[in-house]
Amino acid sequence: MNYVFHILIMINIYIILSVSTNLLVGMANLLSLGQAAFYGIGAYVTAYALIGLGLPLLPTLLLAMGVTAIFSFLLAYISLKLEGDYFILATLGFQIIIFTILYNWIDVTRGPYGIPGIPSPKLFGLVKIEGITGYIILSTILSAITIFVFYKIINSPFGRALKGMRDDEIAMISLGKNITVLKVEAFVLSSAFVAIAGFIYASYISYIDPTSFNLDEAIFILTAILIGGTGNIKGPVIGAVFVVLLPEILRFVGMPDNLAANMRMIIYGLTLIILMRYRPQGIAGEYKFSK
Amino acid sequence: MNNTILHINSVSKSFSHSIKKLNGDVSKEEYCVLDKIDLQVQKGKITAIIGSNGAGKTTLFNIVSGLLNTDKGELFYTPNGKKYNLRKISPYKLARIGIGRMFQDNHIFPKLTVMENMLIADTDPYGENAFTSFFYHRKKRKIEKERKLRAEQIFEMLFGKANPFCEKQEDYAETLSYGQQRLLGLARLFMGNYKLVLLDEPTAGVNPVLVKKIAEIIRKMVDKRQMTILLIEHNMPFVESLADLCVFINTGKIETAGSVVEVLDNPHVRENYLGKRTTKRNSTDAQA
Repeated sequence: MNYVFHILIMINIYIILSVSTNLLVGMANLLSLGQAAFYGIGAYVTAYALIGLGLPLLPTLLLAMGVTAIFSFLLAYISLKLEGDYFILATLGFQIIIFTILYNWIDVTRGPYGIPGIPSPKLFGLVKIEGITGYIILSTILSAITIFVFYKIINSPFGRALKGMRDDEIAMISLGKNITVLKVEAFVLSSAFVAIAGFIYASYISYIDPTSFNLDEAIFILTAILIGGTGNIKGPVIGAVFVVLLPEILRFVGMPDNLAANMRMIIYGLTLIILMRYRPQGIAGEYKFSK
Repeated sequence: MNNTILHINSVSKSFSHSIKKLNGDVSKEEYCVLDKIDLQVQKGKITAIIGSNGAGKTTLFNIVSGLLNTDKGELFYTPNGKKYNLRKISPYKLARIGIGRMFQDNHIFPKLTVMENMLIADTDPYGENAFTSFFYHRKKRKIEKERKLRAEQIFEMLFGKANPFCEKQEDYAETLSYGQQRLLGLARLFMGNYKLVLLDEPTAGVNPVLVKKIAEIIRKMVDKRQMTILLIEHNMPFVESLADLCVFINTGKIETAGSVVEVLDNPHVRENYLGKRTTKRNSTDAQA
């Protein structure tokens, strides 16, 4: 049973990551390779808040979201003046910088040794979120809140403006829309919610190290939403479930672990190629990248 | 001055491009697209800009709508006593001070519904804010309702009670025909509080029935909404039936301006743009 719960917690974490990233990629047409960096910032801030400051759950969560939002604002301010491929390269640069800092600033981050012994947070300083049952409840609540918030955003005038910007920036400008502000807001909001996933991961696993937040992870998050589909909520949710469940399915077909890891990457790659060829909007997405 | 809404004073624009010669040398060459354009656009009138492809008409529109900077010259917009220097205003703010534009290609939002295309065209951005979007907000809901009502009224005013746009309001705009997308683009301009509207070849690629409909809509823009229209068009019967004034641009310069009849009868215009007339122009030309 613990195994199933563990998978469900990981699905919840990836639902938060993919639904938040969808706001950038599927709604605002901003393909970011820096999402794993924000995921990492959220996780490291959580570790410090819980170990160093001993903060309860909600302040820790808000601190993780706030610090990540500040970093994302700075990145947005610099990179959103760039367009298309240059923007993607700027987010890639950010991803590399954050990973390098996490890996090499040993005095602060413990570098490759990681941070062990992250304690479970306490709700209102009283109820400790403990055990796998505690985390399944916490992660499900946070993932449900994320889905609710992004559902409201997608169906709001702001979501409509993001879709308009995705379809045609020039037309948006001619209709009096400040697309720079729209992009910054989308970027900050998306990153702040990615930090929630970092919060759950750090407190649940109780150990973090930089390799969990590298470029591979950023690509993995993008893979989830490209497979599931973008522009709505169900696409990223399906994508998250798919990428988390696939390796588990391979485990059950009796494939040796060393082969299963490689096979998993091959299947992700093949799925992406087939989808981009025959269903560019992903399994349940609304937006096609190949226009 | 009082009757002028847009003052284009000595506006010039050049582009440069690189040329690679056979021996491998690369040289830069400048070509002038607009050369000291002077144009005073009269309030409440329809002014047509005609000229060959590449004459600089769309470049002029891009400059007025802030998408291109000028090299030299000034642009002032004086809608109601206030004077705005257009060179100092961000492009997105132009719509908010009353300058609207319809592009040569439709520029509708294909993945928004027909109704969403109308709602998004409200130049007041109220509610389009990330941090209020996930809270219940009474004023936001009220404004959205008003926008929807306004959009339905515009559809009814322009296309009658039983119109395809009301029936298809929940369909993606990409499902509309090209002509319908064109009409939607024009209808969208009624959602803003525009004083000056730039229309870039509104009749390009549409059938004669829709051309007539487009003329009706433009007339309503002027009569019902007191908009001033600046129109680029190659369809001369359309220009003759609609425009009050006409300007002929050739190789980046205004060569003739005046009433439509004066400009279209100008031998220089005929020679360089319209072609020589074999019969005398009469009123039936306009219905050709």
